[in-house]
Amino acid sequence: MTGRSIPVLIVLMICILIAGCIQGQGSGKTPLKIVAAGSLLSPFSQIEDRYEIANPDIDLQVEGHGSIQAIRQVTDLSRPFDVVAVADESLIPDLMYRPSGEGGKNFTDSYVPFARNEMVIAYTGMSRYHDEINATNWPEILSRQDVRVGFSNPMLDAAGYRALMVTMLAEDYYDDQGLFQSVIGNHFNPPLRREKDGVNLTVRLPEVLRPSSQHVAVRDGSIFLMSLLAAGGIDYAFEYRSVAEAQDFNYLTLPPEINLAHTGYTDRYEKARVILGFQRFSSIGQERVGRPIVYAMTIPSNAPHPEEGQKFIQFIVEQSRIGEKGWPTPL
Amino acid sequence: MKQWIAMIMTLALIPFYLSVSGCLDGQDTDPYSDPSFHDWRLTLNGTDTRVLTLAELRSLPRAEGHGYCVSTTGFRFGPYECAGVDLRELVSLAGGMHPNDTIWISAPDGYLWVFDTEQLEGNGFITFDENLSEIPSPPLRIILMYEQDGKPLAYDDGGPARIAIISREPGIITEGSAWVKWVDTIEIRSNKG
Repeated sequence: MTGRSIPVLIVLMICILIAGCIQGQGSGKTPLKIVAAGSLLSPFSQIEDRYEIANPDIDLQVEGHGSIQAIRQVTDLSRPFDVVAVADESLIPDLMYRPSGEGGKNFTDSYVPFARNEMVIAYTGMSRYHDEINATNWPEILSRQDVRVGFSNPMLDAAGYRALMVTMLAEDYYDDQGLFQSVIGNHFNPPLRREKDGVNLTVRLPEVLRPSSQHVAVRDGSIFLMSLLAAGGIDYAFEYRSVAEAQDFNYLTLPPEINLAHTGYTDRYEKARVILGFQRFSSIGQERVGRPIVYAMTIPSNAPHPEEGQKFIQFIVEQSRIGEKGWPTPL
Repeated sequence: MKQWIAMIMTLALIPFYLSVSGCLDGQDTDPYSDPSFHDWRLTLNGTDTRVLTLAELRSLPRAEGHGYCVSTTGFRFGPYECAGVDLRELVSLAGGMHPNDTIWISAPDGYLWVFDTEQLEGNGFITFDENLSEIPSPPLRIILMYEQDGKPLAYDDGGPARIAIISREPGIITEGSAWVKWVDTIEIRSNKG
């Protein structure tokens, strides 16, 4: 080694170190980071291998949260993601059409709605009265004292507050005042009261949602609710159709007037409102208003690989149109 | 000879290069060396108001146990050996609470969670085993954790202080939504009724 070669060696070493920290970071593939609503995890895991085979330079990395938490990963926690996918399209303009603080750009300025879902009542062959229940008598069966009903925590999961909305809307649809109280409201301490103000139906939740009897069970997310249903801990669960289908549960479909699936009933759905017990996130208020369940995706302005994100969105839109078990319904 | 000296100097500088390139970030560094940890304060708001530094928090009676949580989508975090201060101790410093009062735990990232008095005593939580099957809840405690696995709680884990729900037995998993990260305010709110 000559004296001249030493500086060259030093420069070379610095270049190598800065380029990649010599220990190597993975396979050299481009990590495509997706943050998605929990009800999209099953569909996205179905296509992961297919997507990576079709795009061998991509390492698809999917992280699941509730829809609001998914957006917060970008807006409040400044984490870089290439695609955000949520179970409520209205959350994207509400939470992301605002300056990100990076050069005055908004977190995003557009989104792609790609699928819809509906609320159903999932059950199993072990569920009490499963051979009796139908789209007409479910309120009466779910009110029976020996039946256990579950839904996810409205503070944490959109499917949770949507379960309350469905039950409130069902009162008017079936002309059964007291339905909400007998299926859900009376089984909490303090009881949940459905208030009627003109045409609007509102339920205000306490800070801590605590069932007062075995009739109702509340769990943090769908995964725990479905596990409880499979184990026979509850007889019926309010859930998204795609989730019930993905896990091979029986399910009862509900009338379009109350199942939050159809844009033609938007005015009707908007009558149902849930006021959450506290403002869990400073970025969004406590009121949730009934709306059709529409899934949407967006590319945040700080996405490390926006072009790859765009390709992924296109792929999901196409897959959604094909439709598979456990996928939300294409628009 | 000069060449050998130069070579030895080059090799001796490798740790410096690694540091420059970011490869040593977060490895065996003191989490408390982060200036934001020195500036961190915990505000306790009740009938009394107290503001604690991290050192003052660490000087309070220490509570230890096993902590393990799961996200709403089923992703597990832990198991951890947790150490911190029992939330009851902090509530007491804020002047205590009545049966209908609630405890509001918040962080500067805009996250908030609320406990009631029953939960303060470790009751009313859903617990799971390692397979995420529900199991009867053993005695639980809510702590404000400042140490995880024997080390100061790192920022990425919610440091300098986060909520943890701990038990004496290992392998008890609790729902993660209550494990508030980066806690800086604990407020007791009075509820009539």
